[in-house]
Amino acid sequence: MNLSPLSVALVGAAGLLGAGFYGLLISRNLIKIVLALQILAKAALLALVAAGQAAGSIALGQSLALTVLVADTLVAVVGIALGVQVRRRTGTLDVRELSRLKG
Amino acid sequence: MVSLLVVLLIALPWLGAACAALANGRDPRRLHVLAAGFALATGCVAVAALFLARSAAAVRLPLGGVFGDFILVPDGLGLLIAAVASIVGSLAVIFAANYMHADEQLSRFYAFMLFFIGAMNGLGLSGSLLFTFVFWEITALCSYALISFHNDDLKAVAGGVKALVMTQLGGVGLLAGALLLYSHQGNYEISAFLANPQVLPAGVLALLAFGLLAGSAAKSAQVPFHSWLPDAMEAPTPVTALIHAATMVNAGVYLLARFYPAFAAVPGWRLTVMIVGAASALVGGLQAACALDLKRALAFSTISQLGFMVYAVGAGGIFPAALHLLSHALFKALLFLSSGAIITALGTRDLRQMGGLGRKMPFVRAAFVIGALGLAGLPIANGFFSKDLVLESGLAGGPAWLYALMLLAVALTACYSLRLVWLVFYGQRRGPEPAHDGLPAMRFSLAALAFATLTSWLLAGPLSSLLASTLPAQALVSRSTGSLVLDLLASPWTWLTLAVVALGFGVYLLRGWLAAPLRWLRPVVEGGFGFPWLERQVIGATRWISERLQRLQTGQLNWNAFGLLAGLLAVLAVLAGAAR
Amino acid sequence: MPVLLLLLVAVVFAVQAVRSGSLLASALWLAGVSALTATVLYLFGAAQLAVIELSVGTGLVTVLFVLAINIAGDDPLTPHPLVPKGLAAGCCLLVAGVVAWMALSSASAAAGTFRAADLPLAQMLWQRRGLDMLLQVVLIFSGVLGMLGLLSERRSPLDGGLAEEVAEGRDRDLQRLENQLHEKPEAGQ
Repeated sequence: MNLSPLSVALVGAAGLLGAGFYGLLISRNLIKIVLALQILAKAALLALVAAGQAAGSIALGQSLALTVLVADTLVAVVGIALGVQVRRRTGTLDVRELSRLKG
Repeated sequence: MVSLLVVLLIALPWLGAACAALANGRDPRRLHVLAAGFALATGCVAVAALFLARSAAAVRLPLGGVFGDFILVPDGLGLLIAAVASIVGSLAVIFAANYMHADEQLSRFYAFMLFFIGAMNGLGLSGSLLFTFVFWEITALCSYALISFHNDDLKAVAGGVKALVMTQLGGVGLLAGALLLYSHQGNYEISAFLANPQVLPAGVLALLAFGLLAGSAAKSAQVPFHSWLPDAMEAPTPVTALIHAATMVNAGVYLLARFYPAFAAVPGWRLTVMIVGAASALVGGLQAACALDLKRALAFSTISQLGFMVYAVGAGGIFPAALHLLSHALFKALLFLSSGAIITALGTRDLRQMGGLGRKMPFVRAAFVIGALGLAGLPIANGFFSKDLVLESGLAGGPAWLYALMLLAVALTACYSLRLVWLVFYGQRRGPEPAHDGLPAMRFSLAALAFATLTSWLLAGPLSSLLASTLPAQALVSRSTGSLVLDLLASPWTWLTLAVVALGFGVYLLRGWLAAPLRWLRPVVEGGFGFPWLERQVIGATRWISERLQRLQTGQLNWNAFGLLAGLLAVLAVLAGAAR
Repeated sequence: MPVLLLLLVAVVFAVQAVRSGSLLASALWLAGVSALTATVLYLFGAAQLAVIELSVGTGLVTVLFVLAINIAGDDPLTPHPLVPKGLAAGCCLLVAGVVAWMALSSASAAAGTFRAADLPLAQMLWQRRGLDMLLQVVLIFSGVLGMLGLLSERRSPLDGGLAEEVAEGRDRDLQRLENQLHEKPEAGQ
């Protein structure tokens, strides 16, 4: 059993990964899906920083994690804005309903 | 220098295609000039490159790892294909200026035509089997897009889909062959493989040989994969002249000629190739003799003439096959473009509504007759020389009964050539008045092609030395035009062929007496010898499978995420297994 | 170890966020996950990153979620998921388990303590990964513009009849093609 910091971080990332994917598969509400994506982003952050520490190129790991942070935050922002507009126009945030709409 | 020319042969038409695609909605005249300009420039580059042909690679771009190197080899065979594609392509593009009306989507048309010409050049010049496959697929895509060009016409779309499905099955075989080569040789280089075919074990070599034969047969519309070509006649005539007469259908013959040295030793391969060629020559000839649609008749004729080329390759006559490829490209393009002029003048493709047009359309009649002379194989035009060389090499390299079948095909060719000329231009007028006798751009292309048909046999000597000097694997011998012609005229087999041609003419002229005993043949021929039924099954099965698989595309986010997760699980399983 | 504990609590919070019955509660659980992740990042030596994660993840994103929940209506939650819960839970546990097993059984022995960065983060970001930064700036701009455009109240050009006209035209064309298909016999010989 290897309990080095890298392994611990990866176990944590795996747990968050599982939780995030569970949310992605279960949720029908668009806002909830964006939330699940945020959890997945946290997992990625942890994994990148830990891997950077383990491989010796620490600053590289942190800068990659920063890129992921920015990108995922923007996904959340635009996703939420989209959700609001969709709710205004079609009255529903249910993913199943939205995939049936035409036009 | 030659590297630049070779790169230009692909880059120039593709640049033209990009310009044509971006010129959407602009002045159609400028678009015609743009497209014709790029095509003619490519033709000039091809002719210039012919003088600089070599057998070593001109361009070699390492692309790393699994893709191998991107290699362009300007040898005789590749440059022949490229030159034919570029020159006939430019004439077809010029013809299209009068054929395509101004309110159609010209930019899409020209973009795909130029894209096709570039891809065909790449196909001929590629020295890496993987990139040969890539260019092969690009030509298939352009062929589909151009056949279904009038995409509000259901028959055109059906024809395009049929052509795509049938040639794609061959393309898959080509990819499999490329991967087999890579796994044994470590790279995709064709020249390395030809120098040492034993790098593949005997069973794999045989598999590759017959697989490539099947792929080439599909692309070159040989039996049993030939029925897509007549249905592809829904395409606009410049497309037919370029793709389905002069270039894309030659890709299969090119592949067979290129790989002949490696596969000649595989037991049974050469005989199979010759039988496929002979069968196609006969089936095509019979169906051309009974066809009622002008373009379909010419399509069957193409199948038949490609059968001649394939027969020659099987017998080991690479040079006769190449010469016949050149002759056929010229006279078939001439015939198709003339038929395009007739179709626009009359508004119909039905042979029963033509007749007696010779008086009103003398220019087109002259062009068509010259093409028919090449097709039938009379000594004035180039077809005579190449066809006789094909038959001689077949006699020397194959069994005599196949030679007899090919002679029968020669008679059929003469018969239907005369039939076409007669039905269209002579006899009673059965249909509408022709509106014109060939518009200016049409006349230019027709005149150029007619001149080429009458004189291209003079290039036999230079072609022979070009092929001999740049194709080390094929071990050809260089001859001069004069010696070739004298040998032909002195050989008794040539006179036998001429006698058979005369017999073919006689059969047509005496058709009244011969119709009754041959009546049993009619339903067989009209049923297409059963092949269209087979194709309908294949296409139906393909459609059925794709409709069932469509259920996987639910369009629902949660299931898509589930698919993502499943893929991740698969990757993790592989990684965990590898880490053990 | 403190890191392991914090991460386990974070995973519990994340599962609670996903399973929670109201959207507002889920957003608060997510804020908790963000805070814990920021702490862990700090413990891993990425101090600047932890600060950014804290302010953005716990602050900005949570506020946006609450805003959206306010505007988009009060927590409508649908009880019947498209993918069966058992299947989803099983697959996710499997994936998490495989990754955890791979991590725990790997032979690499990383250092016990967290080292300081070999390169100051600022220098790494702006000199070695300058293109990355440029792209992030572009991304931020486009994201803000997108959000502003989406949340504006102007009517779109497809409102007011044009969408219906286009759809009707397309239906007519489709009908015409179907008629053509049924009239013409199978395109065979």
